[in-house]
Amino acid sequence: MTMAETKKTDPNEKPRIGVYVCHCGSNIGGFVDVPSVAEYAKTLPDVVYATDNLYTCAEDGLTSIREGIRKHNLNRVVVASCTPRTHAPLFQTTCESAGLNKYLFTFVNIREHCSWVHMKEKEKATLKARDLIKMGVARARLLMPQEEEKVDVEPTGLVIGGGVSGMTAALSLADMGFPVHLVEKEGELGGFVRNLNNLYVTEKSATETIKPLIEKVKASKNVKLHLNSQVKSVEGFIGNYDVVMASKGAEDIKTKVGTIVVATGALEFVPEGLYGYNQYPNIVTLTEFEILCKKKSLPSLKNVAFIQCVGSRGQKVSYCSRICCNVAIKNAINIVDNYENMLGLAEKNGTIIDTVPVEKKVPDEILERRRRRRGRERGEEGEAEEVKLGPSEKIEVTVFNRDVMAYGVEHELTYNKAREHRVKFVRYTPENPPKVFMEGNQLMVSYFHETLKLDRSMPVDMVVLSTPMVPQLDTREMSQMLKVPQGQDGWFLEAHVKLRPVDFATDGIYVCGTCKGPADITEAATQAAAAASRAAIPMAKGYVQAEALTSVVDDIKCSGCGTCIQVCPYGAMRKNDKGLAETIVAACKGCGCCGATCPEMAITMTNYTDAQLLAEAKATLEEV
Amino acid sequence: MEKSVMVIGGGIAGIQASLDLADKGIIVHLVEKSPSIGGRMAQLDKTFPTNDCSICILAPKMADCFSHPNTNVITYAEVVGVEGKVGAFKVKVLKKARFVDETMCTGCGECLEKCPVKVPSEFEMGLSNRKAIYTPFMQAVPRVMTIDKENCIMITKGKCGNCKKACKREAIDFEMKDQMLEIEVGSIIVATGFDSWNPTTSTEYGYGRYPNVYTAMEYERMINAAGPTHGHIERRSDKKRPTKLAFIQCVGSRNPQVGHPYCCAVCCMHSTKEAMLAREHHDDMESTIFYKDMRACAKGFWEYIERAKRDYGVRYLNSDATVQENPENHNPIVVYDVGGRQQSEEFDMVVLATALIPRKETLELAKILGLKADEFGFLESSDRILGMGRTNVPGVFLAGYAAGPADIPESVAQGSSAAAKAVEAMALAGGA
Amino acid sequence: MAEPQHTIHEKKDEPRAAAGEFEPKIIGFLCNWCSYAGADLCGVSRYQYPTNVRPVRVMCSTRISPHLVLDIFKAGADGILLGGCHLNDCHYISGNFYTEKRVRLMLKLLEDAGVDPKRLRLEWVSASEGEKFSKVVTEFTETIRNLGPNQVKKDAALRSKIAAADEASDTFRLRALVGKELGLEKTGNVYGNKLEQTELEKLIDIATKEEFERSLILELSKDKARSVKELGKIMEVPTDRVLRHIVVLRQKNMLSMDHPEGFTPTYKTIIIGGEQ
Repeated sequence: MTMAETKKTDPNEKPRIGVYVCHCGSNIGGFVDVPSVAEYAKTLPDVVYATDNLYTCAEDGLTSIREGIRKHNLNRVVVASCTPRTHAPLFQTTCESAGLNKYLFTFVNIREHCSWVHMKEKEKATLKARDLIKMGVARARLLMPQEEEKVDVEPTGLVIGGGVSGMTAALSLADMGFPVHLVEKEGELGGFVRNLNNLYVTEKSATETIKPLIEKVKASKNVKLHLNSQVKSVEGFIGNYDVVMASKGAEDIKTKVGTIVVATGALEFVPEGLYGYNQYPNIVTLTEFEILCKKKSLPSLKNVAFIQCVGSRGQKVSYCSRICCNVAIKNAINIVDNYENMLGLAEKNGTIIDTVPVEKKVPDEILERRRRRRGRERGEEGEAEEVKLGPSEKIEVTVFNRDVMAYGVEHELTYNKAREHRVKFVRYTPENPPKVFMEGNQLMVSYFHETLKLDRSMPVDMVVLSTPMVPQLDTREMSQMLKVPQGQDGWFLEAHVKLRPVDFATDGIYVCGTCKGPADITEAATQAAAAASRAAIPMAKGYVQAEALTSVVDDIKCSGCGTCIQVCPYGAMRKNDKGLAETIVAACKGCGCCGATCPEMAITMTNYTDAQLLAEAKATLEEV
Repeated sequence: MEKSVMVIGGGIAGIQASLDLADKGIIVHLVEKSPSIGGRMAQLDKTFPTNDCSICILAPKMADCFSHPNTNVITYAEVVGVEGKVGAFKVKVLKKARFVDETMCTGCGECLEKCPVKVPSEFEMGLSNRKAIYTPFMQAVPRVMTIDKENCIMITKGKCGNCKKACKREAIDFEMKDQMLEIEVGSIIVATGFDSWNPTTSTEYGYGRYPNVYTAMEYERMINAAGPTHGHIERRSDKKRPTKLAFIQCVGSRNPQVGHPYCCAVCCMHSTKEAMLAREHHDDMESTIFYKDMRACAKGFWEYIERAKRDYGVRYLNSDATVQENPENHNPIVVYDVGGRQQSEEFDMVVLATALIPRKETLELAKILGLKADEFGFLESSDRILGMGRTNVPGVFLAGYAAGPADIPESVAQGSSAAAKAVEAMALAGGA
Repeated sequence: MAEPQHTIHEKKDEPRAAAGEFEPKIIGFLCNWCSYAGADLCGVSRYQYPTNVRPVRVMCSTRISPHLVLDIFKAGADGILLGGCHLNDCHYISGNFYTEKRVRLMLKLLEDAGVDPKRLRLEWVSASEGEKFSKVVTEFTETIRNLGPNQVKKDAALRSKIAAADEASDTFRLRALVGKELGLEKTGNVYGNKLEQTELEKLIDIATKEEFERSLILELSKDKARSVKELGKIMEVPTDRVLRHIVVLRQKNMLSMDHPEGFTPTYKTIIIGGEQ
């Protein structure tokens, strides 16, 4: 990084301060004796010019500032008027237009913080206004001009994850005109959606639905696809990330990117030990069920039970997984409407469940149990015969739920449709969950009927367990590599849950899709385009410019203890090759936490130095 | 042709889309119907599930959006016509006369004191008054006054002019005329947001008839420290502070009878938040939420419900509910159904989570732009699975509640997403 | 509010600005995003409050190191108000959690220095809490008025103690401890051991006391060489404890010893030229 040298004013140049006191019509002038305050300002050290304006922010007021700077050769400007939160940019721009560095401007608030809150005490308000200006002048005397550092941004993106989110983000960046590296650890694109049968609201197969997206990604000139690859290391900061990608059986690829989009997806929770999963036959998770449907290998069924919230909402995980109700409803409608189409293969080869991708994440011991179970089911060990059922004319589907999360328009209407299609919805409470057991050769579900206050049971042929999405197992490694946080449940944590849903706190890294929490395909794709939009900003600009309100480390005082790196919420501190702390100016937001923390007091905050703050505060304490 | 985009609607979705575009170096014309940008989010007190102060986090974005060198924020204006196609739209914008010169007004507010006319404030949901010359709220952007011509007696009757006399900047111009602007843009983003359904017609809730029945939006203003009651929760009937609150969910939503069979997707959460805030204001506040399904299904939402139960004593009852009133003390009585038995309970105040519906004007806009709307008035995306926000008209995109129920983060994501799509469309159309 | 410009909220119990009455000087460090904005809203809404607070704007309350606060007390401020965003609302994500930790240290040091900790107040004021800001300022001004003026300029002993507290707040040990406090509670130390909050606070309290006493020894022995007994008496600390501090300070080469034959040894602070 090129650390732009901060320009210093000639230390011998004496401050020449101009003070502009605003009447704001009668907003200030009605409660503060503005002319006398301006007169007083003239007596303050280094003040060479002071005046009052009816409206400093109006064109004539601004002109008087410009003229003052030229005529009186001012090198500091103090405006005493309203609040810097709305008006500072205006006065700073005015100063700059007259050739004065904007960091040499000081704002004093004598309206919101004075005239408006002391309307009954004109004398005291006037004294306070004088004091506030005295403080402002004391601060102004110590201000230094600052140069805002510009850091070039490499206009190339990196997207990690080749599922729907990653592909959408990569394609969006590509279509906006930026080259993108898309890294996928599997041998093909598509991610979790490849497991699915169809996507709700359409009957088209999931694979068909995402096929055009995959083709566009593959065809895009701007997308450099890295299949069977993983990101091995990432070093750097916004605009300048050095990335190493490792591919199976190939040499590592080193490249430089400006921004990174994380879209690593999620897994389905495996409900070991819950509701007879892996204990009885024909108990599958929602995704396993989808795979069966997709492969048209459902066994013959008459009664199907879906159990919602298996492991979620305060059980194995605290959260609601958002999509499972709607996925269950979709599948319920599917088997009621379209049952015949999904049968077939099962009877021929006796397979219940084929390989489920999520299994790769399951410990060997569990895999072994499942293999044995399958063996049993196929009659290899002859222990438990597979439940034999004749083909049914009618199929009964019951969805055991706690609340049906059919939010929005589409889901709610589908939920209504499901009820019209004879899908039964039975509510249970976490205190009284349904139970799954065998009665002889018959799989049974018993439950507590909340309205009738009765225990009931029903025979079923298959139980589908709706389990929550869980974070990828390598989320922690990824979070350490990228220096981005995880939330309590292990999902990636965005910068702000409300207003920055696809940003990480660290500038230059963005997040989308299910790696930040449960989302359906539409939401994931929307987030992906959003992340692409965010990532495109610094790349479109070509640079990042930091306000000169950053921390600066004094090399001589720094002992390299690393405390500042720990406390910085933006990952804006790092160790340089000498082992000493260094600010990544492009990433620093200027909060000052590192400065107040540094045990060696080696960090100063530009434009908010200790000396400036102390001078400002102490000015009012001086004996008059 | 220069790259520029028009964003219609200055709520959080529109603001986000504008900022994302402007930051990419694209000129943005943001057209907002009301005198200030900020939209619905500006009206909220806190936001779930963090209980962040809504205006605190929004105001900096509003300021950024307005002062950005690449934005042209046109408030008090409406889109009335569109011609052309992606890459080269010509949009007609009617800028209504606000009778105040935006370049002269400093927002100092001296005129306000002199204006004799009081009008129920739209921003405060009619719970307090504004003047005929006004800014909708404190943090309004731009901070300039607007005269509403229906109520200004100088404009309607030709006598008064107090504000003009009070204004030292001579910013007031009663002769100001509506202006028709013609703006060329490469693409358009529609983010016109939602309205709160008026439950007066559904008599079973007693809104408008029983004084102590409020809508959630009214309650939201009431608990806001800068709101009409300075954050004090008080009853219409006797100004007393209630202690027993009932929140009724799905008022007019999930209800085909009133034409909104859909779920609004945010009410379970906002009612929970409002119940929590009541307890934060006063330890003795007891809240009960009557709900159909507790739809708390995004990040941290279910945990929020659990926290409301555990730490804030919020009671959840799974039941439909209707309202009657005890005529002696104007206490609302909630009638509900648990386990097939009808029951009733008296409360001090009832807050209705009313259906959130697309704005009426959105349908007119849809006609102007050639967009499709669904049977409820939400604007439709052409690719509902992978390309939400893309429409049947190339170059026109959607964001926020106008495209279907969405909470703040979803609206923000959709705003950013629409911005990306707009850029892609212009690149494709060669509008570089 | 739609028309706040018309409502002037009057305070009944003020002003009592009789001539010569004590008018506290209070510094208010306000964070740009919440409490400064809250103060702005307070003004826009015309909530009235006493004129005693002098706001100083900072970007985040986390910027306020203990040194700033103690130095300003040393300079004679009667009270200091720190305003930040509500916890979890911080514009800089986690800044105010650090503020909370630092304020705890400041209060401890003030207590050690004999300054009523009530003179320092931390308040979370959001951008929508205009009225709260006026209440906080009114109450706090009243508190300070009742406490009376900061005596630092008149009372030399107090002056040394505040100076010592200031010095102590700048020591590597305290700054490092408080800086790492949050991290140790949340993610644990290098061995992955998380420390209980109370346990940590105890640790910090002990360190604070020690560092304050050591700083006070240095402060008292700046101009005059002093014996252990003498120091113990002035500081009201047992002599064995003073001696232990002296051993540490000698190791760090911060005290010189004078040991004339037959007399009790005395110690003098070594002042290194050029170092601030």
